Amino acid sequence: MALMSTVKLEEVAAEVAQQKAMERGPLFLPHGCRLFQVTSGWEANMIRHDKGVVSCETLLELEAGLQDPGAKVLFIPLNAIIVDKDVEKLCQRNGVAKTLFKEVKGTT
Amino acid sequence: MKNNKTSPLKTPLKDLTPEDLKSLEKPLGTSDRPYPMWGSQRVEHNGRADLEQVLSVIADDTYPMKVFSDRPYKEVVAMAYADMPVPSMLPLFFDGLERRKPTSTNRTQMMIGDPGAGKSFLGALQGRLRSKEPIEVLDCGGKNMRELLFEMVLDFGAGDALPKAIDKRLQAGSLESLSASLLRGLPSEVLSLDEDGQVKSIDWNGLKSAGSDKVEAAFEVLKKVSKIEGLDNAGGNALGMNSQYGPLIRKFMAGEEIVLDEYNKSREGTDDNLQTVWQFCIGELKECTVENPLKNKDASAGPSEFTFRREDMKPGFFVTLTGNKKEDGITTRSLNKSVYSRLSPQTLPDPDIIDWQHRICQMMVGLPVSTLYTAFKEQADKDPEAFGDWLLNLRKTKAEIEGGRVPELQETLLKNWKNVVNSSEKLAKFYDKWQQMTDAEKITSNGHADLVEEVDDEYSKKEGIDFRKIKQHLEEAIPIRPRMQKEDAPRIVNFGSWEKAPKLSDPVEENPSLNFGTRLTEFLERMVYEKSGAVGKNKLYNKLNKSMQEFALRDITLQEAARSKQRSVEEDLNISSFNDRDLSKQAIMARKVFCDFLRQTNPEITASDDEIVTPKKFLDALTHVSQKDTAATNELFVTNRDPEQVFAGRPIAGAVIKDTAVYALQNKDLDFTLKDLVHHDDFIASLALPTVGAKNLSAVWEQNIRPLTKGAANDSAAPAAAPAASGSILDHDEALFIAEGKSDKKIATTSVQVLYSDDEGDRPVTVHIVRNEARNKTLVVSEKAPSKLLAAFKEAGVTHVDRHDANAEAKVEAALTELTRGMQASIKDRLVDAFKYRNDVDVEHLKGKTPTLPQLLTDDKVDMMYAKFVVKKAANGM
Repeated sequence: MALMSTVKLEEVAAEVAQQKAMERGPLFLPHGCRLFQVTSGWEANMIRHDKGVVSCETLLELEAGLQDPGAKVLFIPLNAIIVDKDVEKLCQRNGVAKTLFKEVKGTT
Repeated sequence: MKNNKTSPLKTPLKDLTPEDLKSLEKPLGTSDRPYPMWGSQRVEHNGRADLEQVLSVIADDTYPMKVFSDRPYKEVVAMAYADMPVPSMLPLFFDGLERRKPTSTNRTQMMIGDPGAGKSFLGALQGRLRSKEPIEVLDCGGKNMRELLFEMVLDFGAGDALPKAIDKRLQAGSLESLSASLLRGLPSEVLSLDEDGQVKSIDWNGLKSAGSDKVEAAFEVLKKVSKIEGLDNAGGNALGMNSQYGPLIRKFMAGEEIVLDEYNKSREGTDDNLQTVWQFCIGELKECTVENPLKNKDASAGPSEFTFRREDMKPGFFVTLTGNKKEDGITTRSLNKSVYSRLSPQTLPDPDIIDWQHRICQMMVGLPVSTLYTAFKEQADKDPEAFGDWLLNLRKTKAEIEGGRVPELQETLLKNWKNVVNSSEKLAKFYDKWQQMTDAEKITSNGHADLVEEVDDEYSKKEGIDFRKIKQHLEEAIPIRPRMQKEDAPRIVNFGSWEKAPKLSDPVEENPSLNFGTRLTEFLERMVYEKSGAVGKNKLYNKLNKSMQEFALRDITLQEAARSKQRSVEEDLNISSFNDRDLSKQAIMARKVFCDFLRQTNPEITASDDEIVTPKKFLDALTHVSQKDTAATNELFVTNRDPEQVFAGRPIAGAVIKDTAVYALQNKDLDFTLKDLVHHDDFIASLALPTVGAKNLSAVWEQNIRPLTKGAANDSAAPAAAPAASGSILDHDEALFIAEGKSDKKIATTSVQVLYSDDEGDRPVTVHIVRNEARNKTLVVSEKAPSKLLAAFKEAGVTHVDRHDANAEAKVEAALTELTRGMQASIKDRLVDAFKYRNDVDVEHLKGKTPTLPQLLTDDKVDMMYAKFVVKKAANGM
């Protein structure tokens, strides 16, 4: 029972973290992809570790994530070697609509 | 095993059974799932039939449109409605679906249009409707089109070991400086540099097939880097070059779609040997063979030729070509006649207002609410709730497909879909006009010839309005950012202790939809100025300003008479979550405010919300409040913090305003004491609760001055009105209407007294209320409010000011300026007159002065005369 509650708690926390990130508004990317910024800290951690979220640190990983039908949410951590221009380019050439979160420093 | 089965989309048509094909079929546009469609129709006007472009629907059970898709029906229909192309592009969407039928021999669609019109989006959308796999969108700009068939690529070996190793070192900053310097020599389009000009990332997949010349140069660079980094000997770090099938052949073989974007920006003369391939793709040829010119070049391996055969065709194969209109720039070339003849490009019409509105809605809420409303207007008007639920379900399904959740702002807007339709129409008209005013090519013929000196081709290219601008504007408007105060708002700087970090008040989180309209329209005003007035285009600035007024972007631009007839974009898009039509949702919000407030004011209570009061009990309480008609009887509802009653399921208690003037007139003793008064915190908390606050703000206004004053004419013992309001009180006395909450300006003010307890003991204190009913904004000036109420006050449109706050007067002035914005200056004098009906300003320190309303509202020496007390009703008197 205790394990169930923890799992549920993490799901709820991940949802709250996503909603908070979404409140700051998206960067509209090609083909309906949306990029949300998420502050480093608990919000970023909850999203990164949420079920079904794929973390991408390089462009090769990001493109693999975009091309994987099973990966719907992509997370770009702070230490990734990916800039917004790269994200836009990769979304443009992989016509697919996914949700992306990008970890940023401090408050947004 | 089922997952391993090859999709029918990727299986040659000859090998498919009728059942396989049936499994792909997803009808769109049936009798109970009509799909909007745009086209020419004869429309009768006074017996004459004119040909017009109209929005109607396809709703045919026998011959519906069909999407041949691997996706479940639910996903197809949600995507088709949510990501629907703008109305003027719907006929192209229809053609695209027809050409994607398995039996279709034409597997191409070419669209020519303005940049940002959504051509590649439409191509990829049709592919996405069919498959969960991404649709390759190939940017043909500057590329050699022969490489669509065969291309020279870098071969990094299994698992891309070399790129991964270089990425790892780039990330760790451990790359040799010589390597870093060499990598900067890779094609610029595959590099991203950091602020110091160092390579931040490399687009390896882009580099792999960057074109023969670039691949050869990159091969040399990477060979050197590989050696410097000591990666040349590591296992798996093989580096080579090979010729392979190009994307067009690969897609044909796989049975997949491809979008060839900006086809007419490709390198001139490079598509000559594609002509027979296009003949095959459009169904003119049953077979065509192409040879690999790269075979054996530099000893590279690879196929020598490929034969496209009709019998190998798979249902999933399709090619969308997009092109920009010739006039879009010098890099766009005119295609040769044979290409036009074979691919029959379809030219996109210029966007109409209905298209602007459609795209604005999609950006704002993720659905083309306006087009869906126009298509299903009668039914939506008849059952707005069901229409709203349908929209929300479509949006949620789209969010599931895309892996995210529906943002709170979008959910709130969708629940208020009528506001979205109204505001998007005005925005669409404004953008349409803005686009016309900045279109240099048509400016002499579209009614804006007076702007010809200010709007030239260069300006048009740079600042002309297209769908991408809407995207940028919304991106800026959605996040909550610091906001510049009104120019006439009072401001105070603390000249002392300037070197110390400022003391910030408690953060009050704002619901993103609460001021979304204000953020959007203020941003548009800023853009209009920056793109016209600020760069010396004064005529354009003036015309854009007029358009903003014409289409009622801002609340303040509406004249008073117009205000009653129409709502501004700002007003429509400033949506409080308290406005949710669903009372059970209001109850959830109210319960949260109440429980937080209860725990803050009584720290001994640590119980959870559910333990304090169940949602059902709170809903019952709100239902009771909403059903009562209390405006005429001065009955109120306040929070009930008596633990016994709360735990018994009574979080709201009844109260009533008792007017001492009435007691005086009737020569009666007061039948209540100080302990019977409602506590200050309970009264102001009620204003922070949805439903309850609204009900109270309709029931606090003056009821007695008019009848009492009439009676006074015959009764010398009757209380006199305050000096400023003395004299005959006529029906046209604006101040009295304001006190009664009946002014046609929709502004009102009143004062009541409640109980307050602190170190000085129990005493009555005054709560002043000023309200603008038209804008649903209220100013409340009283004692300090519990901080847990502050966020809810914002949601309820209430500005609460603690009269003892050091900046109270400035805060009140700012709030009053906002409440009376757009009204005549004299309205503030009338508010002062109304205030004086119940408040005695004849106090020593004000003698000989003319205090302003902010000074009076924050002056704790100004007491009420013939106070109106808020008195508790009996426990069961709710």
